[in-house]
Amino acid sequence: MLHKAFVCILTLHLFGWSHAAVVYDTVYINKGLITMVDGSNHDYYSFNATTTFETTNKRIEIGLGDSLYLAIVNTDAVVHGFDVTNTSSYSTNIPATDTVEVPMKFEDLGVYIFYDNANYPNFRYLGLGGMIVVDDFSGTQFYWNIKDHEGDWNDSLDAGWTVDWNDYYPDYFTINGYSNPLINDDPDARIVGSVGETMRIYISNTGEGIHSLHFHGYHLNILYSSKYPNHVGRSKDTFPIESMETLILELVPDKVGEYPVHDHNLVAVSGGNIYPNGMFLTMLIE
Amino acid sequence: MKNWFVVIVLFAGMQLHAQMDEEVLLIARNTGEKVVANGDTIRTMGFAFSLGENPDVPGPTLEFNEGDSVEIDLWNVSQGAPHTIHLHGLDVDQENDGVPHLSFDVPHMEHGYYKFKAPHAGTYLYHCHVVSSIHVQAGMYGLIIIHPPDGSKTTWDGGYPYDISMSLLMSEIDTIWHNDTILLHDHDPDVEVHEVELPVYDPQYYLVNGLSDGQIPEENMALNTSVGAVNYVRLINLGYKGNRVIFPAEFDAEIVASDGRPFPTVENSDTVYIYPGERYGVLGTMPAEGLNSITIEYFDLNTAELEDTQEVPIVTEGYVSTTELATNYELLVKPNPFENSFSIEADLKEKSEIEIVLLDLRGNIIDVIQKPKKMVGSVSIEYTNPTLASGVYLIQMRVNDEVRLNRKIIKN
Ligand SMILES: [Cu+2]
Ligand SMILES: [Cu+2]
Repeated sequence: MLHKAFVCILTLHLFGWSHAAVVYDTVYINKGLITMVDGSNHDYYSFNATTTFETTNKRIEIGLGDSLYLAIVNTDAVVHGFDVTNTSSYSTNIPATDTVEVPMKFEDLGVYIFYDNANYPNFRYLGLGGMIVVDDFSGTQFYWNIKDHEGDWNDSLDAGWTVDWNDYYPDYFTINGYSNPLINDDPDARIVGSVGETMRIYISNTGEGIHSLHFHGYHLNILYSSKYPNHVGRSKDTFPIESMETLILELVPDKVGEYPVHDHNLVAVSGGNIYPNGMFLTMLIE
Repeated sequence: MKNWFVVIVLFAGMQLHAQMDEEVLLIARNTGEKVVANGDTIRTMGFAFSLGENPDVPGPTLEFNEGDSVEIDLWNVSQGAPHTIHLHGLDVDQENDGVPHLSFDVPHMEHGYYKFKAPHAGTYLYHCHVVSSIHVQAGMYGLIIIHPPDGSKTTWDGGYPYDISMSLLMSEIDTIWHNDTILLHDHDPDVEVHEVELPVYDPQYYLVNGLSDGQIPEENMALNTSVGAVNYVRLINLGYKGNRVIFPAEFDAEIVASDGRPFPTVENSDTVYIYPGERYGVLGTMPAEGLNSITIEYFDLNTAELEDTQEVPIVTEGYVSTTELATNYELLVKPNPFENSFSIEADLKEKSEIEIVLLDLRGNIIDVIQKPKKMVGSVSIEYTNPTLASGVYLIQMRVNDEVRLNRKIIKN
């Protein structure tokens, strides 16, 4: 038995793939409203798993070396675009009410942002940005797609008005489309774990601004940085993340407790003049 | 009865404090006053060691050795909202983390005790975490520096030895946020979310260690170093903007640590980007005497627009050890400090064209002491200037048009 298993692994190794699979998936470009933490609603778009609009973009998880055939269904009445960060161009257009399938392949550990590149950055700013997570890790995983919003601008941009990005001053800050305290109800976002457990946090910034995420209680290791590969291996408590940048962090808690994680641009821990209602959640380690 | 109670509490307190290596009293106040660069005095909140002290922005720097048992006694004497101390980056347990509702907060006229063991040598922060957007901007923050267990001038145990260290803590002030209506906000400690007025953040003052613009030379803030000395510059951002810190190329800056941990590999870069809550440790050496500066840019996190630039002088004077003094030119200035006049004794081993000028710390020429002239041997020059304002100046000797020596001199 042992001998057989060894041969099997060796064969797979010789062929250069171990878990490579072919993954078929579909995302729908939907239009809807995002409800901010103060109850205000603003125009929003999202890549969802069905034709039903949800604030949180669908996440695609694949293994190293996997092939991904992603069908993008445009349910909107206007043309939308598609592209993936840090890849050789998968850029394409999806005409109104049409579907386009994009074949992709991802060899390396990473988080890639798939986004709408039409009328850039407007549609991406309006919500069309999700993450493709490429990892073979089998432990506990958490996912933060962080974003800033200037609520009124969503409505203006959707109405076809132009804005001056040099005047951008966001007033809402979300993780997976939600702010504190609602974000703590998202089991994909809120870190719950135990002492000594190895956990990975996959982070993408699909907003316009730079955010500086500070962890209370623990230092974490940078496993992957899309823009700064030389940062890999650093142990830190504060992690800046630029617009359209992605990170993978590893957390191994050494003690129990409930601790916050928040943007240390302290304007961004508020929303609609309520504190602490922005980019803020807590970790619970038991 | 009451007296007995006080005695028992004091006694219990003494027992608790008995095993501490370091005890610090920090008083939280909301009556701070700060003079900003245009001369205006604004209201601040902050921390001070004693009741008689104005709580400055930033608050006092706390220094410990790795492994120390530390207790910070936070006494809130502020009439307003409760305050806390968050020990930023120290990874303390939940009880001592200073976040309201997850840890304790400290109401007016009460004490709170924060206990922790000083972790890895490095650069950390403390700040209030009650409505932190407001209380941090108000000034409730300061630096924590942790030295190696032996207290030596080493970046960390087994790390790089250095001769000179300096901390540059960057932040900003928007005076609108310092109005009473913001600082004295209503606060119900029983609820977890608070409706507060947060004006658009648009600072007028971009600070380094609490100072900006003309205040930097006025307060003689500078990296005062010598040729060959190893400098360890700690960079800290506790503002709501991004910083780009640019060292002179000849400083040969090496980024060796961040957030209280050594880097796995040193990063050679003259430019260091630093974002809110981050800290970096940078090593560098000046190869020649002279006047240089560290440039600090402040840019907006939403638009990436450059908002402001501050300059911190690097004054390189003399040599780190006399054995390295392999120069043909010597310069002696006395008395220093001086009242109205001083004398310069120069020893010139080669015949050269010598020029001596008087500079301020920003490198502006204030006066020419000796016009360019061919000289050799022992030279003595008297200089008198009764109208010169009090402060720190540099005497710069140029040999054949090249800057060769700087001597710092203080006018009383
Ligand atoms: Cu406070
Ligand atoms: Cu902090």
